Amino acid sequence: MAEAREKATVTLEIPIGPQHPALHEPILLRVFADGEEVIDVEVVTGYNHRGIEKLCESNSYYRDLFLVSRTCGICNTIHADVYTRALEQILGREPSQRARYLRVLALELERIHSHLLLAATIAEIVGFDTLFMLIMRDRELVMKAKEILTGCRVHADYYMPGGVRRDIDEVKRSRLLEILNKLEPRVHKYITLFEEDPTINSRLLEVGVIKPVDAVKHGLLGPIVRGSGIDYDIRKLEPYDAYDEIPFNVIVEKGCDSFSRMMVRWRETVESIEMCRYVLTHLPQGEAVVDEKRLPRAFPKGAAFTRGEAPRGELTYYVESAGGPNPYRVKIRTPSLNNLINSRFVYVGLSVADVPVTFASFDPCISCMERIVVIDRRRQVKKIVSFRDLALRRVRV
Amino acid sequence: MRDPSEILAKYGAEEGLIKPSTRVYQVDASRIRELVQELVREYGENRVFVSTIVGIDRPQDGKIEVDIFIEVLGFKPAYCIKVLVPRDDPRMPSIVDILPSALVGELEAHDVLGVVFEGNVYLRRPVFVPEEIASKGAYPLRKDFKV
Repeated sequence: MAEAREKATVTLEIPIGPQHPALHEPILLRVFADGEEVIDVEVVTGYNHRGIEKLCESNSYYRDLFLVSRTCGICNTIHADVYTRALEQILGREPSQRARYLRVLALELERIHSHLLLAATIAEIVGFDTLFMLIMRDRELVMKAKEILTGCRVHADYYMPGGVRRDIDEVKRSRLLEILNKLEPRVHKYITLFEEDPTINSRLLEVGVIKPVDAVKHGLLGPIVRGSGIDYDIRKLEPYDAYDEIPFNVIVEKGCDSFSRMMVRWRETVESIEMCRYVLTHLPQGEAVVDEKRLPRAFPKGAAFTRGEAPRGELTYYVESAGGPNPYRVKIRTPSLNNLINSRFVYVGLSVADVPVTFASFDPCISCMERIVVIDRRRQVKKIVSFRDLALRRVRV
Repeated sequence: MRDPSEILAKYGAEEGLIKPSTRVYQVDASRIRELVQELVREYGENRVFVSTIVGIDRPQDGKIEVDIFIEVLGFKPAYCIKVLVPRDDPRMPSIVDILPSALVGELEAHDVLGVVFEGNVYLRRPVFVPEEIASKGAYPLRKDFKV
Protein backbone atom coordinates (compact mmCIF):
# COMPACT_ATOMS: atom_id res chain seq x y z
CA MET A 1 0.00 0.00 0.00
CA ALA A 2 2.96 2.27 0.56
CA GLU A 3 3.72 1.93 -3.17
CA ALA A 4 0.11 2.81 -3.97
CA ARG A 5 0.60 5.94 -1.92
CA GLU A 6 3.74 6.85 -3.88
CA LYS A 7 2.12 6.27 -7.26
CA ALA A 8 -1.13 8.10 -6.55
CA THR A 9 -1.48 11.80 -6.06
CA VAL A 10 -1.71 12.43 -2.35
CA THR A 11 -3.34 15.82 -2.05
CA LEU A 12 -4.24 15.51 1.59
CA GLU A 13 -2.75 14.03 4.70
CA ILE A 14 -5.24 14.00 7.52
CA PRO A 15 -4.01 13.02 10.98
CA ILE A 16 -6.95 11.64 12.92
CA GLY A 17 -5.85 11.57 16.52
CA PRO A 18 -4.04 10.98 18.78
CA GLN A 19 -6.32 12.54 21.41
CA HIS A 20 -9.99 12.03 21.85
CA PRO A 21 -11.81 12.48 25.15
CA ALA A 22 -14.83 10.28 24.37
CA LEU A 23 -13.11 7.03 23.46
CA HIS A 24 -10.28 5.39 25.38
CA GLU A 25 -6.55 5.43 24.83
CA PRO A 26 -4.85 7.38 22.08
CA ILE A 27 -4.03 6.31 18.54
CA LEU A 28 -3.27 8.21 15.36
CA LEU A 29 -4.62 7.38 11.93
CA ARG A 30 -2.63 9.14 9.21
CA VAL A 31 -5.04 9.26 6.34
CA PHE A 32 -3.58 9.88 2.88
CA ALA A 33 -6.19 10.98 0.39
CA ASP A 34 -6.57 12.17 -3.16
CA GLY A 35 -9.39 14.67 -2.83
CA GLU A 36 -12.17 12.77 -1.07
CA GLU A 37 -10.81 9.30 -1.79
CA VAL A 38 -8.60 7.57 0.77
CA ILE A 39 -5.45 6.08 -0.76
CA ASP A 40 -3.79 4.75 2.35
CA VAL A 41 -4.00 4.86 6.13
CA GLU A 42 -1.08 4.51 8.47
CA VAL A 43 -1.95 3.43 12.00
CA VAL A 44 0.43 5.05 14.48
CA THR A 45 0.46 3.57 17.99
CA GLY A 46 2.68 3.87 21.04
CA TYR A 47 1.15 6.83 22.81
CA ASN A 48 0.14 4.83 25.81
CA HIS A 49 2.61 1.96 26.21
CA ARG A 50 2.39 1.05 29.87
CA GLY A 51 4.75 -1.90 29.88
CA ILE A 52 2.24 -4.23 31.54
CA GLU A 53 3.89 -7.39 30.19
CA LYS A 54 7.27 -6.35 31.58
CA LEU A 55 5.73 -5.35 34.90
CA CYS A 56 4.04 -8.74 35.13
CA GLU A 57 7.46 -10.41 35.11
CA SER A 58 8.53 -8.54 38.24
CA ASN A 59 5.31 -8.99 40.22
CA SER A 60 3.72 -12.06 41.75
CA TYR A 61 1.01 -13.97 39.92
CA TYR A 62 -1.62 -12.57 42.26
CA ARG A 63 -0.56 -8.93 41.92
CA ASP A 64 -0.55 -9.48 38.18
CA LEU A 65 -4.19 -10.48 38.38
CA PHE A 66 -5.06 -6.91 39.34
CA LEU A 67 -2.54 -5.48 36.90
CA VAL A 68 -3.77 -7.34 33.81
CA SER A 69 -7.37 -6.42 34.49
CA ARG A 70 -6.25 -2.80 34.16
CA THR A 71 -5.16 -3.43 30.57
CA CYS A 72 -8.65 -2.28 29.62
CA GLY A 73 -11.30 -0.46 31.59
CA ILE A 74 -14.24 -1.53 29.47
CA CYS A 75 -13.44 -5.22 29.27
CA ASN A 76 -11.50 -5.79 32.47
CA THR A 77 -13.34 -8.93 33.59
CA ILE A 78 -12.47 -10.91 30.46
CA HIS A 79 -8.77 -10.03 30.98
CA ALA A 80 -8.97 -11.27 34.56
CA ASP A 81 -10.92 -14.34 33.46
CA VAL A 82 -8.51 -15.44 30.73
CA TYR A 83 -5.46 -14.77 32.92
CA THR A 84 -7.05 -16.60 35.87
CA ARG A 85 -7.78 -19.62 33.69
CA ALA A 86 -4.16 -19.64 32.53
CA LEU A 87 -3.04 -19.72 36.19
CA GLU A 88 -5.54 -22.50 36.91
CA GLN A 89 -4.10 -24.51 34.03
CA ILE A 90 -0.58 -24.16 35.44
CA LEU A 91 -1.73 -24.92 39.00
CA GLY A 92 -4.07 -27.73 37.96
CA ARG A 93 -7.02 -26.21 39.84
CA GLU A 94 -10.65 -26.16 38.82
CA PRO A 95 -13.25 -23.57 39.85
CA SER A 96 -16.50 -24.74 41.41
CA GLN A 97 -19.63 -25.05 39.31
CA ARG A 98 -21.26 -22.03 40.98
CA ALA A 99 -18.13 -19.95 40.37
CA ARG A 100 -18.17 -20.88 36.67
CA TYR A 101 -21.72 -19.62 36.32
CA LEU A 102 -20.96 -16.40 38.20
CA ARG A 103 -17.94 -15.80 35.97
CA VAL A 104 -20.15 -16.06 32.89
CA LEU A 105 -22.62 -13.64 34.48
CA ALA A 106 -19.91 -11.01 35.00
CA LEU A 107 -18.56 -11.55 31.47
CA GLU A 108 -21.95 -11.21 29.82
CA LEU A 109 -22.88 -8.11 31.81
CA GLU A 110 -19.61 -6.66 30.58
CA ARG A 111 -20.44 -7.59 26.98
CA ILE A 112 -23.82 -5.84 27.29
CA HIS A 113 -22.41 -2.58 28.60
CA SER A 114 -19.52 -2.63 26.13
CA HIS A 115 -21.86 -3.11 23.17
CA LEU A 116 -24.19 -0.42 24.49
CA LEU A 117 -21.26 1.97 24.83
CA LEU A 118 -20.27 1.43 21.23
CA ALA A 119 -23.86 1.75 20.01
CA ALA A 120 -24.06 5.07 21.83
CA THR A 121 -20.75 6.21 20.33
CA ILE A 122 -21.89 5.24 16.84
CA ALA A 123 -25.15 7.15 17.40
CA GLU A 124 -23.13 10.22 18.35
CA ILE A 125 -20.81 9.87 15.37
CA VAL A 126 -23.67 9.64 12.90
CA GLY A 127 -25.12 12.78 14.49
CA PHE A 128 -27.89 11.25 16.60
CA ASP A 129 -27.02 12.78 19.97
CA THR A 130 -30.38 12.06 21.62
CA LEU A 131 -29.95 8.37 20.96
CA PHE A 132 -26.44 8.55 22.42
CA MET A 133 -27.87 9.92 25.66
CA LEU A 134 -30.74 7.42 25.81
CA ILE A 135 -28.42 4.44 25.31
CA MET A 136 -25.94 5.77 27.87
CA ARG A 137 -28.80 6.20 30.35
CA ASP A 138 -29.79 2.58 29.92
CA ARG A 139 -26.18 1.44 30.07
CA GLU A 140 -26.20 2.74 33.64
CA LEU A 141 -28.60 -0.06 34.52
CA VAL A 142 -25.97 -2.58 33.49
CA MET A 143 -23.25 -0.75 35.39
CA LYS A 144 -25.47 -0.98 38.47
CA ALA A 145 -25.96 -4.69 37.84
CA LYS A 146 -22.21 -5.15 37.59
CA GLU A 147 -21.81 -3.28 40.88
CA ILE A 148 -24.37 -5.52 42.58
CA LEU A 149 -22.56 -8.62 41.36
CA THR A 150 -18.91 -7.66 41.76
CA GLY A 151 -18.93 -4.70 44.13
CA CYS A 152 -17.68 -2.26 41.55
CA ARG A 153 -19.16 -0.52 38.53
CA VAL A 154 -16.09 -0.72 36.33
CA HIS A 155 -13.06 -2.61 37.63
CA ALA A 156 -14.57 -5.79 38.96
CA ASP A 157 -11.49 -7.54 40.41
CA TYR A 158 -13.84 -10.47 40.66
CA TYR A 159 -11.67 -13.40 39.63
CA MET A 160 -9.27 -15.56 41.60
CA PRO A 161 -7.77 -18.94 40.70
CA GLY A 162 -10.25 -21.56 41.87
CA GLY A 163 -13.32 -19.34 41.96
CA VAL A 164 -14.58 -15.79 42.34
CA ARG A 165 -14.20 -13.21 45.09
CA ARG A 166 -17.85 -12.47 45.95
CA ASP A 167 -21.05 -14.46 45.88
CA ILE A 168 -24.61 -13.26 45.49
CA ASP A 169 -27.59 -13.89 47.75
CA GLU A 170 -31.28 -14.14 46.94
CA VAL A 171 -31.85 -10.37 47.27
CA LYS A 172 -29.10 -9.57 44.78
CA ARG A 173 -30.28 -12.29 42.45
CA SER A 174 -33.81 -10.90 42.24
CA ARG A 175 -32.47 -7.34 41.89
CA LEU A 176 -30.33 -8.43 38.93
CA LEU A 177 -33.31 -10.13 37.29
CA GLU A 178 -35.35 -6.94 37.73
CA ILE A 179 -32.65 -4.92 35.99
CA LEU A 180 -32.51 -7.36 33.08
CA ASN A 181 -36.29 -7.27 32.71
CA LYS A 182 -36.17 -3.49 32.59
CA LEU A 183 -33.33 -3.40 30.09
CA GLU A 184 -34.57 -5.94 27.55
CA PRO A 185 -37.51 -3.99 26.03
CA ARG A 186 -35.31 -0.93 25.69
CA VAL A 187 -32.68 -2.89 23.79
CA HIS A 188 -35.37 -4.17 21.40
CA LYS A 189 -36.53 -0.58 20.89
CA TYR A 190 -33.00 0.49 19.95
CA ILE A 191 -32.61 -2.43 17.57
CA THR A 192 -35.78 -1.38 15.73
CA LEU A 193 -34.46 2.15 15.64
CA PHE A 194 -31.12 1.08 14.19
CA GLU A 195 -32.90 -1.06 11.60
CA GLU A 196 -35.37 1.59 10.51
CA ASP A 197 -33.84 5.01 11.04
CA PRO A 198 -32.82 6.47 7.65
CA THR A 199 -29.95 8.56 9.14
CA ILE A 200 -28.32 5.54 10.75
CA ASN A 201 -28.90 3.36 7.71
CA SER A 202 -27.44 5.84 5.26
CA ARG A 203 -24.29 6.30 7.37
CA LEU A 204 -23.67 2.62 8.10
CA LEU A 205 -25.02 0.52 5.24
CA GLU A 206 -22.38 -0.49 2.68
CA VAL A 207 -19.74 1.58 4.46
CA GLY A 208 -16.44 -0.10 5.33
CA VAL A 209 -17.17 -3.39 3.56
CA ILE A 210 -14.91 -6.32 4.58
CA LYS A 211 -15.19 -9.48 2.52
CA PRO A 212 -15.14 -12.74 4.55
CA VAL A 213 -11.83 -13.84 3.01
CA ASP A 214 -10.19 -10.51 3.91
CA ALA A 215 -11.55 -10.64 7.46
CA VAL A 216 -9.94 -14.05 8.05
CA LYS A 217 -6.77 -13.38 6.08
CA HIS A 218 -6.02 -10.29 8.15
CA GLY A 219 -6.93 -11.99 11.43
CA LEU A 220 -9.82 -9.67 12.28
CA LEU A 221 -11.85 -10.82 15.26
CA GLY A 222 -15.12 -10.61 17.15
CA PRO A 223 -18.12 -8.75 15.74
CA ILE A 224 -16.01 -7.69 12.73
CA VAL A 225 -15.42 -11.23 11.49
CA ARG A 226 -18.93 -12.31 12.53
CA GLY A 227 -20.34 -9.30 10.69
CA SER A 228 -18.64 -10.72 7.59
CA GLY A 229 -20.44 -14.04 7.87
CA ILE A 230 -17.82 -16.14 9.73
CA ASP A 231 -19.08 -17.88 12.88
CA TYR A 232 -15.86 -17.50 14.85
CA ASP A 233 -16.72 -17.30 18.54
CA ILE A 234 -14.40 -18.83 21.14
CA ARG A 235 -17.31 -19.31 23.56
CA LYS A 236 -18.65 -21.93 21.16
CA LEU A 237 -15.42 -23.22 19.59
CA GLU A 238 -13.52 -23.77 22.82
CA PRO A 239 -16.07 -23.37 25.63
CA TYR A 240 -14.65 -22.13 28.91
CA ASP A 241 -16.22 -21.44 32.33
CA ALA A 242 -19.87 -22.54 31.97
CA TYR A 243 -20.37 -21.69 28.30
CA ASP A 244 -20.79 -25.36 27.43
CA GLU A 245 -23.84 -25.55 29.70
CA ILE A 246 -25.54 -22.26 28.92
CA PRO A 247 -27.61 -22.16 25.73
CA PHE A 248 -26.79 -19.33 23.31
CA ASN A 249 -26.50 -18.66 19.60
CA VAL A 250 -23.45 -17.36 17.78
CA ILE A 251 -24.62 -14.24 16.00
CA VAL A 252 -23.53 -13.89 12.39
CA GLU A 253 -24.51 -11.25 9.83
CA LYS A 254 -23.67 -11.43 6.16
CA GLY A 255 -23.75 -7.78 5.11
CA CYS A 256 -19.98 -7.34 5.72
CA ASP A 257 -20.42 -3.57 6.36
CA SER A 258 -20.47 -1.26 9.38
CA PHE A 259 -24.21 -1.83 9.75
CA SER A 260 -23.75 -5.61 9.97
CA ARG A 261 -21.09 -5.20 12.64
CA MET A 262 -23.50 -3.07 14.67
CA MET A 263 -26.33 -5.55 14.22
CA VAL A 264 -24.06 -8.38 15.42
CA ARG A 265 -23.46 -6.37 18.59
CA TRP A 266 -27.13 -5.58 19.10
CA ARG A 267 -28.24 -9.16 18.63
CA GLU A 268 -25.41 -10.34 20.90
CA THR A 269 -26.71 -7.94 23.53
CA VAL A 270 -30.08 -9.69 23.42
CA GLU A 271 -28.35 -13.09 23.61
CA SER A 272 -26.29 -11.91 26.58
CA ILE A 273 -29.39 -10.72 28.44
CA GLU A 274 -30.89 -14.18 27.91
CA MET A 275 -27.67 -15.82 29.10
CA CYS A 276 -27.58 -13.69 32.25
CA ARG A 277 -31.19 -14.59 32.95
CA TYR A 278 -30.37 -18.29 32.44
CA VAL A 279 -27.42 -18.07 34.84
CA LEU A 280 -29.53 -16.36 37.50
CA THR A 281 -32.32 -18.92 37.23
CA HIS A 282 -30.03 -21.97 37.03
CA LEU A 283 -27.31 -20.93 39.48
CA PRO A 284 -25.86 -24.11 41.03
CA GLN A 285 -25.62 -24.40 44.79
CA GLY A 286 -22.30 -24.63 46.57
CA GLU A 287 -19.24 -22.55 47.33
CA ALA A 288 -18.06 -19.99 44.81
CA VAL A 289 -15.68 -17.83 46.80
CA VAL A 290 -12.13 -19.11 47.06
CA ASP A 291 -10.09 -18.88 50.24
CA GLU A 292 -7.29 -16.65 49.01
CA LYS A 293 -5.03 -17.37 52.00
CA ARG A 294 -4.80 -20.99 50.99
CA LEU A 295 -3.67 -20.35 47.43
CA PRO A 296 -0.07 -21.43 46.69
CA ARG A 297 2.47 -18.60 46.43
CA ALA A 298 4.94 -20.47 44.22
CA PHE A 299 3.83 -21.94 40.91
CA PRO A 300 5.11 -25.13 39.27
CA LYS A 301 6.90 -24.95 35.92
CA GLY A 302 4.64 -24.87 32.91
CA ALA A 303 2.94 -22.74 30.30
CA ALA A 304 -0.65 -22.04 29.36
CA PHE A 305 -2.32 -20.43 26.36
CA THR A 306 -5.89 -19.49 27.16
CA ARG A 307 -8.50 -17.65 25.15
CA GLY A 308 -11.80 -15.96 25.70
CA GLU A 309 -14.35 -14.06 23.66
CA ALA A 310 -14.09 -10.44 24.77
CA PRO A 311 -16.73 -7.94 23.57
CA ARG A 312 -14.30 -6.94 20.80
CA GLY A 313 -13.17 -10.43 19.83
CA GLU A 314 -10.86 -13.22 20.87
CA LEU A 315 -8.50 -12.31 23.70
CA THR A 316 -5.49 -14.55 24.28
CA TYR A 317 -3.06 -14.92 27.16
CA TYR A 318 0.20 -16.83 27.15
CA VAL A 319 1.56 -17.31 30.66
CA GLU A 320 4.82 -19.15 31.31
CA SER A 321 6.06 -20.18 34.70
CA ALA A 322 9.67 -21.13 35.35
CA GLY A 323 8.77 -22.06 38.94
CA GLY A 324 8.61 -19.55 41.78
CA PRO A 325 6.29 -16.69 42.65
CA ASN A 326 6.63 -14.55 39.48
CA PRO A 327 5.78 -15.45 35.88
CA TYR A 328 8.61 -15.78 33.37
CA ARG A 329 6.54 -14.34 30.52
CA VAL A 330 3.01 -12.99 30.13
CA LYS A 331 1.84 -12.17 26.63
CA ILE A 332 -1.49 -10.46 26.15
CA ARG A 333 -3.01 -10.29 22.67
CA THR A 334 -6.05 -8.06 22.78
CA PRO A 335 -8.54 -8.20 19.89
CA SER A 336 -8.16 -4.48 19.22
CA LEU A 337 -4.51 -5.08 18.35
CA ASN A 338 -5.51 -7.21 15.35
CA ASN A 339 -8.66 -5.27 14.56
CA LEU A 340 -6.97 -1.88 14.35
CA ILE A 341 -3.48 -2.51 13.06
CA ASN A 342 -4.29 -5.24 10.55
CA SER A 343 -7.32 -3.40 9.18
CA ARG A 344 -5.71 -0.54 7.25
CA PHE A 345 -6.72 -2.15 3.96
CA VAL A 346 -10.40 -1.48 4.75
CA TYR A 347 -10.07 2.28 4.43
CA VAL A 348 -8.59 2.29 0.92
CA GLY A 349 -11.13 3.66 -1.55
CA LEU A 350 -13.45 5.06 1.12
CA SER A 351 -14.38 8.71 1.19
CA VAL A 352 -12.65 10.70 3.93
CA ALA A 353 -15.95 11.25 5.77
CA ASP A 354 -16.48 7.48 6.04
CA VAL A 355 -13.18 6.89 7.85
CA PRO A 356 -14.43 7.87 11.35
CA VAL A 357 -17.57 5.74 11.22
CA THR A 358 -15.68 2.76 9.77
CA PHE A 359 -13.01 3.10 12.43
CA ALA A 360 -15.67 3.36 15.14
CA SER A 361 -17.45 0.26 13.78
CA PHE A 362 -14.32 -1.71 14.77
CA ASP A 363 -15.14 -0.79 18.39
CA PRO A 364 -11.72 0.72 18.98
CA CYS A 365 -10.61 0.50 22.54
CA ILE A 366 -8.72 3.73 22.05
CA SER A 367 -9.34 7.40 22.39
CA CYS A 368 -8.36 9.33 19.35
CA MET A 369 -10.39 11.62 17.27
CA GLU A 370 -12.05 14.74 18.57
CA ARG A 371 -9.93 17.27 16.72
CA ILE A 372 -8.54 16.74 13.28
CA VAL A 373 -6.03 18.87 11.41
CA VAL A 374 -6.84 19.03 7.73
CA ILE A 375 -3.77 19.96 5.72
CA ASP A 376 -4.12 21.13 2.16
CA ARG A 377 -0.68 20.32 0.75
CA ARG A 378 -1.18 22.30 -2.44
CA ARG A 379 -2.08 25.51 -0.68
CA GLN A 380 -0.15 24.73 2.53
CA VAL A 381 -3.19 25.56 4.63
CA LYS A 382 -4.02 23.91 7.95
CA LYS A 383 -7.51 23.83 9.34
CA ILE A 384 -8.67 22.27 12.62
CA VAL A 385 -12.07 20.64 12.48
CA SER A 386 -14.01 18.51 14.90
CA PHE A 387 -14.34 14.78 14.41
CA ARG A 388 -18.10 15.20 14.47
CA ASP A 389 -18.08 17.75 11.66
CA LEU A 390 -16.00 15.41 9.57
CA ALA A 391 -18.39 12.55 10.23
CA LEU A 392 -21.37 14.75 9.38
CA ARG A 393 -19.69 15.77 6.10
CA ARG A 394 -19.63 19.41 7.12
CA VAL A 395 -16.05 19.75 5.95
CA ARG A 396 -15.07 20.66 2.43
CA VAL A 397 -11.66 19.20 1.69
CA MET B 1 -8.92 -32.92 4.38
CA ARG B 2 -5.75 -33.53 6.37
CA ASP B 3 -5.46 -32.48 9.99
CA PRO B 4 -3.07 -29.48 10.34
CA SER B 5 -0.95 -31.54 12.75
CA GLU B 6 -0.01 -33.87 9.85
CA ILE B 7 1.40 -30.97 7.85
CA LEU B 8 3.12 -29.45 10.89
CA ALA B 9 4.73 -32.78 11.77
CA LYS B 10 6.37 -32.85 8.31
CA TYR B 11 8.32 -29.69 9.12
CA GLY B 12 9.26 -30.18 12.74
CA ALA B 13 9.10 -32.42 15.75
CA GLU B 14 6.17 -32.18 18.12
CA GLU B 15 7.39 -30.71 21.38
CA GLY B 16 4.51 -31.39 23.71
CA LEU B 17 1.58 -29.30 24.76
CA ILE B 18 0.89 -25.83 26.04
CA LYS B 19 -2.03 -26.24 28.43
CA PRO B 20 -4.89 -26.75 27.89
CA SER B 21 -4.73 -27.97 24.28
CA THR B 22 -2.17 -26.20 22.08
CA ARG B 23 0.28 -28.56 20.39
CA VAL B 24 3.79 -27.20 19.83
CA TYR B 25 5.99 -27.97 16.80
CA GLN B 26 9.57 -26.77 16.64
CA VAL B 27 10.37 -25.69 13.11
CA ASP B 28 13.63 -24.43 11.66
CA ALA B 29 13.51 -20.75 10.68
CA SER B 30 14.53 -21.61 7.11
CA ARG B 31 11.42 -23.78 6.61
CA ILE B 32 8.80 -21.53 8.13
CA ARG B 33 7.69 -19.93 4.86
CA GLU B 34 7.41 -23.29 3.15
CA LEU B 35 5.25 -24.58 6.02
CA VAL B 36 2.92 -21.59 6.02
CA GLN B 37 2.59 -21.77 2.23
CA GLU B 38 1.56 -25.40 2.48
CA LEU B 39 -1.03 -24.60 5.15
CA VAL B 40 -2.54 -21.87 2.96
CA ARG B 41 -2.50 -24.19 -0.08
CA GLU B 42 -4.24 -26.94 1.88
CA TYR B 43 -6.95 -24.93 3.65
CA GLY B 44 -7.21 -21.73 1.60
CA GLU B 45 -6.46 -18.20 2.68
CA ASN B 46 -10.00 -17.84 4.02
CA ARG B 47 -9.34 -20.41 6.74
CA VAL B 48 -5.83 -19.82 8.07
CA PHE B 49 -4.66 -16.91 10.18
CA VAL B 50 -2.05 -16.04 12.78
CA SER B 51 -3.70 -15.61 16.14
CA THR B 52 -0.68 -14.13 17.88
CA ILE B 53 3.12 -14.17 17.91
CA VAL B 54 4.77 -14.55 21.30
CA GLY B 55 8.43 -13.65 21.60
CA ILE B 56 10.30 -15.03 24.63
CA ASP B 57 13.86 -14.17 25.57
CA ARG B 58 15.96 -17.20 26.64
CA PRO B 59 19.34 -15.71 27.59
CA GLN B 60 20.45 -18.95 29.28
CA ASP B 61 20.29 -20.68 25.85
CA GLY B 62 21.45 -17.64 23.87
CA LYS B 63 18.18 -17.77 21.92
CA ILE B 64 14.99 -15.86 21.36
CA GLU B 65 11.95 -18.06 21.00
CA VAL B 66 9.30 -16.93 18.53
CA ASP B 67 6.03 -18.79 19.02
CA ILE B 68 3.60 -18.35 16.14
CA PHE B 69 0.08 -19.38 17.15
CA ILE B 70 -1.78 -20.41 14.02
CA GLU B 71 -5.49 -20.90 13.77
CA VAL B 72 -7.11 -23.06 11.09
CA LEU B 73 -10.89 -22.56 10.92
CA GLY B 74 -12.70 -25.85 11.31
CA PHE B 75 -9.97 -27.36 13.50
CA LYS B 76 -10.45 -26.64 17.17
CA PRO B 77 -7.25 -25.85 19.02
CA ALA B 78 -4.67 -23.32 17.87
CA TYR B 79 -1.27 -24.72 16.85
CA CYS B 80 2.01 -23.28 18.05
CA ILE B 81 4.97 -23.12 15.68
CA LYS B 82 8.11 -22.58 17.72
CA VAL B 83 11.10 -21.01 16.02
CA LEU B 84 14.40 -20.41 17.82
CA VAL B 85 16.65 -17.61 16.58
CA PRO B 86 20.08 -16.65 17.93
CA ARG B 87 19.91 -13.88 20.51
CA ASP B 88 22.90 -11.95 19.15
CA ASP B 89 21.49 -11.85 15.60
CA PRO B 90 17.76 -12.60 15.83
CA ARG B 91 16.66 -12.93 12.22
CA MET B 92 14.02 -15.05 10.57
CA PRO B 93 11.98 -14.86 7.37
CA SER B 94 8.77 -12.87 7.49
CA ILE B 95 5.47 -14.58 6.68
CA VAL B 96 3.44 -11.40 6.41
CA ASP B 97 3.20 -11.59 2.60
CA ILE B 98 1.64 -15.07 2.88
CA LEU B 99 -0.45 -14.44 5.99
CA PRO B 100 -1.20 -10.72 6.45
CA SER B 101 -2.57 -11.48 9.91
CA ALA B 102 1.03 -11.85 11.08
CA LEU B 103 1.61 -8.12 10.67
CA VAL B 104 0.88 -6.97 14.20
CA GLY B 105 2.71 -9.92 15.75
CA GLU B 106 5.86 -9.30 13.72
CA LEU B 107 5.75 -5.56 14.43
CA GLU B 108 5.46 -6.22 18.14
CA ALA B 109 8.14 -8.92 18.36
CA HIS B 110 10.51 -6.61 16.47
CA ASP B 111 9.69 -3.67 18.71
CA VAL B 112 9.97 -5.35 22.10
CA LEU B 113 12.60 -8.05 21.46
CA GLY B 114 14.47 -6.95 18.35
CA VAL B 115 13.59 -9.92 16.15
CA VAL B 116 14.13 -8.94 12.50
CA PHE B 117 11.55 -10.46 10.15
CA GLU B 118 13.34 -10.38 6.82
CA GLY B 119 11.09 -9.33 3.97
CA ASN B 120 8.55 -7.43 6.09
CA VAL B 121 8.55 -3.95 4.54
CA TYR B 122 6.40 -2.53 7.33
CA LEU B 123 8.91 -3.21 10.14
CA ARG B 124 9.74 -0.04 12.01
CA ARG B 125 10.52 1.25 15.49
CA PRO B 126 8.94 2.51 17.63
CA VAL B 127 5.56 0.83 17.25
CA PHE B 128 4.52 0.45 20.88
CA VAL B 129 7.68 1.17 22.87
CA PRO B 130 8.25 4.84 23.82
CA GLU B 131 10.59 6.82 21.56
CA GLU B 132 13.22 7.38 24.30
CA ILE B 133 13.67 3.63 24.76
CA ALA B 134 13.56 2.76 21.05
CA SER B 135 16.08 5.49 20.17
CA LYS B 136 18.64 3.87 22.50
CA GLY B 137 18.27 0.58 20.64
CA ALA B 138 16.97 -1.10 23.80
CA TYR B 139 14.42 -3.91 23.75
CA PRO B 140 12.24 -3.88 26.87
CA LEU B 141 11.19 -7.51 26.94
CA ARG B 142 14.73 -8.82 26.90
CA LYS B 143 15.60 -10.17 30.31
CA ASP B 144 18.66 -7.92 30.68
CA PHE B 145 16.55 -4.76 30.25
CA LYS B 146 16.14 -3.18 33.66
CA VAL B 147 13.06 -1.10 34.41
